[in-house]
Amino acid sequence: VAPTWTDRTSPAMGTYTYTYTSRPRPPPCQRRRYRDSLLQPAEEPIRYGNIMYDRRVIRGNTYALQMAPLSGQPDPLEIQRQHQAKRRALARKRAQEQLRPHTPEPVEGRQHVDVQTELYLEEIADRTIEVDMECQTDAFLDRPPTPLFIPAKTGKDVATQILEGELFDFDLEVKPMLEVLVGKTIEQSLLEVMEEEELANLQASQYAYEELRNVELAEVQRLEEQERRHQEEKERRKQQQWEVVHKHNETAQKIAAQVFAQRYLADLLPSVFDSLRDGGYFYDPVQRDIEIGFLPWLMNEVDKTMEYSMVGRAVLDMLIREVVDKRLMMYEHKEDERLSFRPGDRLSGPGAVRDPLVGPEIQGQSTSQSQGPPPDRESLPPLDGRYLEKLSSQERRLLEEEEDEQREMRKSSGKEEPSQ
Amino acid sequence: MASAQISMYLPPDVNPSQAAIAYGCRALPKLNKELQSEDLLTRQKALMALCDLVHDPEHVYVAIDIGCLESLKALLKDTNDMVRLKTTEVLYIMATHNVGREGFLKYDVIHALSYLLHDPQAACRENLHLAYKHLAQVPSGAQGIVNSGLIPALVWKLQREEENIQELLLDTLAACLMEDATEALDSRLVPFLKEKLLSANNNIRSKAARTLVAISIPLEGKKQIWQYDVIPILVHLLKDKVKEVQANAAGALMYATVTTEGKYAALDAEAITPLLGLLFSPLSKARLNAIKALTMLAEAPEGRRFLQAHVPNFRALEKDDNEAVRRAALVAIKVVEWKP
Repeated sequence: VAPTWTDRTSPAMGTYTYTYTSRPRPPPCQRRRYRDSLLQPAEEPIRYGNIMYDRRVIRGNTYALQMAPLSGQPDPLEIQRQHQAKRRALARKRAQEQLRPHTPEPVEGRQHVDVQTELYLEEIADRTIEVDMECQTDAFLDRPPTPLFIPAKTGKDVATQILEGELFDFDLEVKPMLEVLVGKTIEQSLLEVMEEEELANLQASQYAYEELRNVELAEVQRLEEQERRHQEEKERRKQQQWEVVHKHNETAQKIAAQVFAQRYLADLLPSVFDSLRDGGYFYDPVQRDIEIGFLPWLMNEVDKTMEYSMVGRAVLDMLIREVVDKRLMMYEHKEDERLSFRPGDRLSGPGAVRDPLVGPEIQGQSTSQSQGPPPDRESLPPLDGRYLEKLSSQERRLLEEEEDEQREMRKSSGKEEPSQ
Repeated sequence: MASAQISMYLPPDVNPSQAAIAYGCRALPKLNKELQSEDLLTRQKALMALCDLVHDPEHVYVAIDIGCLESLKALLKDTNDMVRLKTTEVLYIMATHNVGREGFLKYDVIHALSYLLHDPQAACRENLHLAYKHLAQVPSGAQGIVNSGLIPALVWKLQREEENIQELLLDTLAACLMEDATEALDSRLVPFLKEKLLSANNNIRSKAARTLVAISIPLEGKKQIWQYDVIPILVHLLKDKVKEVQANAAGALMYATVTTEGKYAALDAEAITPLLGLLFSPLSKARLNAIKALTMLAEAPEGRRFLQAHVPNFRALEKDDNEAVRRAALVAIKVVEWKP
């Protein structure tokens, strides 16, 4: 029955809640039903039931609480102090009781009797009246229905009256709210549905337009393609035609050219032959042969013959010259032999004589280049020679030299002719 | 109590995941400021609120006016997955409105979005591609995407992404290629499309065929299609079960057969018979494309010979409801009966 401190601490707040549990018991009433003997004072203090005077109920400000010890076991010092306080209170109470006036003792011959003074008398007895009762249901007897239990009327009667319009009528109240709710929802959904419809319409009209557009576009493209093909065809035909004409022209030109060429070349051949013949390309082979082969040979032979005669003449000239020289030399020699006799000079003499002979010959040859045949005769006279000893060799040498001279003469004459 | 007036706005904190939307014209500026805040939770709540608001075109206009796009661009590089997901969602919703698209082009959002192409979250990439797809619906948007050089990256992604994202990519590419196809042709798109044409998913086939239509408009595209032997596959697709696929395949053939090589490739692959079958398809697109493709094939002498027997089909189409079909039928008859 004792109240308990139950600490239920909430961790976030740091406060505690106080709970008070006790078994239900009837409220103690002021009057005692059972006599208390005066010799038995109450050891325990009377338990108060009045919440107004309950120390555990917090009154006033709660932010300056003094926390009771949290542990179940209170401080032993505290316990002792409490015991002492209790004893003191008891003693005080006993003292006060003794001082309190009691009812006076009954007069002689009288007795004090406790009397009930309430409205309804109550029988008080130490022992509660106990009666043993037995009960048994009758066999096969229907149990009558339990009578309606109407509890006795207790408490105060209080009356109230509801005036018109004060009651909460759900249907009425809910109507505007519902209207708004439904209205808003319908509005939103209408919007969305309209949107969808609009979209669907747009889509449908777009598809229709697209169809038409596709068809038209296809038509356009087909026509374009057709046009292009026709153009190509035209181009090709034109090209063909042009080629044909071109070929035609070319052929005509070729024919004309051919005819002209034929005509031109017709008398080409005779004129060619004529010019060739004029140029001497057509020759009589015998004549040619004669000209090429025979005549040069003839000329050579003539030359040779002439040369022979020339040579002969030259030799004759030389002979004459030699003779003359010898005669001269003989005449001079005769004079010289008279003066001096030098046999040793014979060898060197011809050489020395020859040299000056050669020298003047060379001079004569060199001058013969400017003069004509006459130096030929002049070179001959200085020729001397011991014709008796070296005539043949000298002659040969002289002949060779003569021939050289002749050749050179011819050369020079040949040179002169072109130079002239 | 029963007659108490309640404001026309939702009570505050009814959705704790959304930021409170301020009253009237203060709503968007306050959200914009919250978007730039340091606290992750604030940013996320602001994004959720913005997602809802941005379905209204007026709000989009105001948002772009006060410069929300700058804060959104900064948020694209956020480390938190949820933030990026919601940002891309906001951007894709904005892209469905024209003001939004123009804002994108002005503030160069395309470039900022391109950083998220390799995002690990699939939903984020899906939103990104949705944004691109809607942006590409407008010619200027498509031009913007082409100019930012994203096409090679998108083509590369095409092989590596999942199916639903592939569909979005194909749509985006189809729209962009209508503008300028040179970059895509350089990045070998035609072989990929050839593979996709044989995929099992109907949507992917039809979208791949549509992209082929777009790519075969320039001459280079036509040459590549003939080079990579896509024409026999297209002829095969003409007999596909799905009408849309048939129509798109016919469209691609129509463009591919403009060149002479394409014509003869198609004739070799026996394209005329399925195309004749398509002439009576319920889809007007299929009929149109089939007529045009047959017209192309009739330019070639062999095709003309074959089709002279089928002129009554074209005569029947002259009485079709669709104006374009009638005109196309007339042109076709003229071409078939032309004598050189």
